[in-house]
Amino acid sequence: MISRALLLVAFALALPLPVWAQSGALVTHAAGVTLVSQSDSSAALVGVEFTIAAGLDRERLRQDGLAALVAQSVLETPSAGGVSLSDAIAAHGGSVAFTMEAHDVRFYVEALATDAPAVLALFERAAASPDFSAATVRAARDALMREIAGSQQEPLQVGIEMLDFAQANGGNSGLPLFGTPASLVQLAPADASAFYRTYYRRGGSSISAVGRVDALGARALESFATMLPVGATAAVKTVTTPLHGNGHELVARRSISAPWLVVRYGAPSLGNADYGPMLVLAAFLQRTLSDIGEIPGTITPTLASRAVGAEYNFDRVPGELVLYVDGAIDSDPNRTFGAALSVVNILSATRLQGSIAQFKTIAAGDFATRASTLEARAWLGGAFTRRTGSADYLRVTLRAIAATTPGDLQRVARRYLASPTIALVLPRTTTVQN
Amino acid sequence: MNGRASFARRGALVLALVPGMLLAIPRSTTATPAVESGALAHGGTYMIAVDAAAPVAAIDLWFRAPDDGYSGETPGLARIAATAAAAAKLASGKTLAETVTQAGGQLSIQVFPDLVTVGAIVPTLAARRVLASLTAAYFAPAIDAAALHAATSDATVIAVQQHYEGDVLVQDLLFSRLFASKPANEPPVPLAIDALSHVTLQEASAFAQRAFRASNAFLTVAGAVDPTILAAVTDGNGPAPAQAPIDAIPVSPLPAPTTQEGSGPAIGIAWIGPPISDERAATALDFVADYLFRERVGTVSAALDRSGTRIDLNGQFVTLHSPGVMLVTLEGTDDASAQTQVLRAVSALQQPMDPAAFAAAREAFLYHLDVDTQTPGEQADMLGWYAAEGAASYAPGGDEYERITRSLDPGYVAATVRRYLSNPTVVRIVVGSSSGGAS
Repeated sequence: MISRALLLVAFALALPLPVWAQSGALVTHAAGVTLVSQSDSSAALVGVEFTIAAGLDRERLRQDGLAALVAQSVLETPSAGGVSLSDAIAAHGGSVAFTMEAHDVRFYVEALATDAPAVLALFERAAASPDFSAATVRAARDALMREIAGSQQEPLQVGIEMLDFAQANGGNSGLPLFGTPASLVQLAPADASAFYRTYYRRGGSSISAVGRVDALGARALESFATMLPVGATAAVKTVTTPLHGNGHELVARRSISAPWLVVRYGAPSLGNADYGPMLVLAAFLQRTLSDIGEIPGTITPTLASRAVGAEYNFDRVPGELVLYVDGAIDSDPNRTFGAALSVVNILSATRLQGSIAQFKTIAAGDFATRASTLEARAWLGGAFTRRTGSADYLRVTLRAIAATTPGDLQRVARRYLASPTIALVLPRTTTVQN
Repeated sequence: MNGRASFARRGALVLALVPGMLLAIPRSTTATPAVESGALAHGGTYMIAVDAAAPVAAIDLWFRAPDDGYSGETPGLARIAATAAAAAKLASGKTLAETVTQAGGQLSIQVFPDLVTVGAIVPTLAARRVLASLTAAYFAPAIDAAALHAATSDATVIAVQQHYEGDVLVQDLLFSRLFASKPANEPPVPLAIDALSHVTLQEASAFAQRAFRASNAFLTVAGAVDPTILAAVTDGNGPAPAQAPIDAIPVSPLPAPTTQEGSGPAIGIAWIGPPISDERAATALDFVADYLFRERVGTVSAALDRSGTRIDLNGQFVTLHSPGVMLVTLEGTDDASAQTQVLRAVSALQQPMDPAAFAAAREAFLYHLDVDTQTPGEQADMLGWYAAEGAASYAPGGDEYERITRSLDPGYVAATVRRYLSNPTVVRIVVGSSSGGAS
């Protein structure tokens, strides 16, 4: 499993369009499924991402954790050798994991090129016919419980989950990714089976392959496209009472050593004209926040500079920009938190002067660096195809960054940075006033 | 090889462990970038792994040099000299650090007891410019007082940070017990920041002139570049011998288990392993580390995860010229049962594994190797490490490494475990004064 926090992507800046911005991705459609193929003969591995419209917004409110329970049950389904799909794929030289999102669940399968056909066949069988016996669902529940226990010790993850819930106004798309221990024990195998039968459909799904795709054989992706039954589904509409209050502050306490500030701003999604400027803006904020945290004069990045950050999550609808600060970097967290928020306020209220070329360069470099792994490339290829119709994420992004002007930056700052929602994750012994 | 990621944390950044490697001969099961190697025009050797699909380029320079200077009496000298070279103004008017950052790239400096490496990951368009700056900074180092001041500040921050990195502290403690002499038995950056302030400009300059020579350099480049990029290397000092690999002398017999006080509970276990020249044995211990300790999927790691304990387990075989070291650290516990769990799992491998289980574990190991070497940064890193340790063609991801891995069998792995992993040294870090200090 991969938590959403780990998949937030921050990006930012502008360069002439380099020659390497040509991905050579191929987009086709088969059986109602979008297929993206990025063949790379230099790669040693094959990675395939399956995106299915069976995320959090398919849950009813009382089914908190059901989407993850179903996805984890696929991974726990008995496979070759009588072991779980995860273990069977590992024994074949590969791996499988899922990422839960507001609207989708994404399975990522990766393997050595020579093993990839067998590994993908194992996944195809399990995904097409998962086991929802009591034993398998129990194993899935146990795995999710461990994941929840781990994530609750991560202040950034806790803060983001609070902000997600607030953003969704208490609706299903903002429910905890893996549910809660209390909700999971209420879910029975029949619930998982029913959810799977209802929502694991071809409609709205996509398959994105990268690396030694040739090793899968001709028309392999077309074959995978028929893995699930035909049909499309819709999100479950949840009726909630809007959250009221004068402020936009959320507070949680955990067994951590220092407070964390996590701030969410609305942001444009992929495909929006403001995508490029927001990448540059995110780079500007990342750099400025790092400067706040960094010890002056250091040549190489330190732990302090990594304790602050700006992450632009453009694959969500709506998009979001998340700023975070680990209060441990300063003996006075209030001062650091205040400085971080002041940066944003000043940026949105002051006329920008000077060149933004440096931030455009950083944004482009950051995007390219983060797009280096097969998993990132598979995800980007699929996400850009769904949102923009083009899998050429490098070209699209670098053009958007290159076209950004200081005026764009100012406009986007004013439009999106005015109304933050703030989450504070505090040590158990700390008060909000402190 | 897997332990490199954690081992690399002795410096500042965690290196992105990386894929791909390196040999010019196509691999039998994979198609990683072919590696071209040769001599630089003005001294030193290079290796280039071209991957046209990569969005960035990684450029590393690796030097053999003792971390505490050639007299062995200046703790942190290599770190300060390497950082000062990156902070010194070049002919362009910019420092290397500024050149990399302003190109949208990332600069990292890593120091190990026997090696120094400086690396940059940059957008491809900037690769040629950064390579020129990198080699200018290190093939003709010109450190001034301002650069030394910046480097000392940088090293001081790292020295302070180390106190909060439990696995680094435990690793350094283990090395201090495994080896009888410097530089291996002292941390590359001293814990006491006082020592750093005594490094003089003369010492830093003299060290840089001797260590950072083209003829002592291994240049590795990976990503969307072509070999013509080497024309950007205009500095150098002509052919001259590279320094020989710096070996460590193990303590014999290894000291008895000990307990010390620290800021957080931890356990460290280490064994002396084979030199890099015994490639099959080294590969067997890489396999063992992967099978038992790889995050989440290693058998011991998975068992600890299932138990619900909050222990951060790291296990790796550190491939060195001579000898290698198997390291296991457990952060978040000083419970003897966790230590016993590790030692029992290692002991169990003294007997041959079931053939089917072994075959599956070996295939998984091959997959993990490619996962860990898939980005340009990881490829340049792995090429440089193995070249500097004296076995460039053996780097994981290459044809030779895969051939050796496929030659492993349960009997050989068991024999290797019996030979090298029977006699560990153990350190236990406890919190508070109840332990009574070292025992």
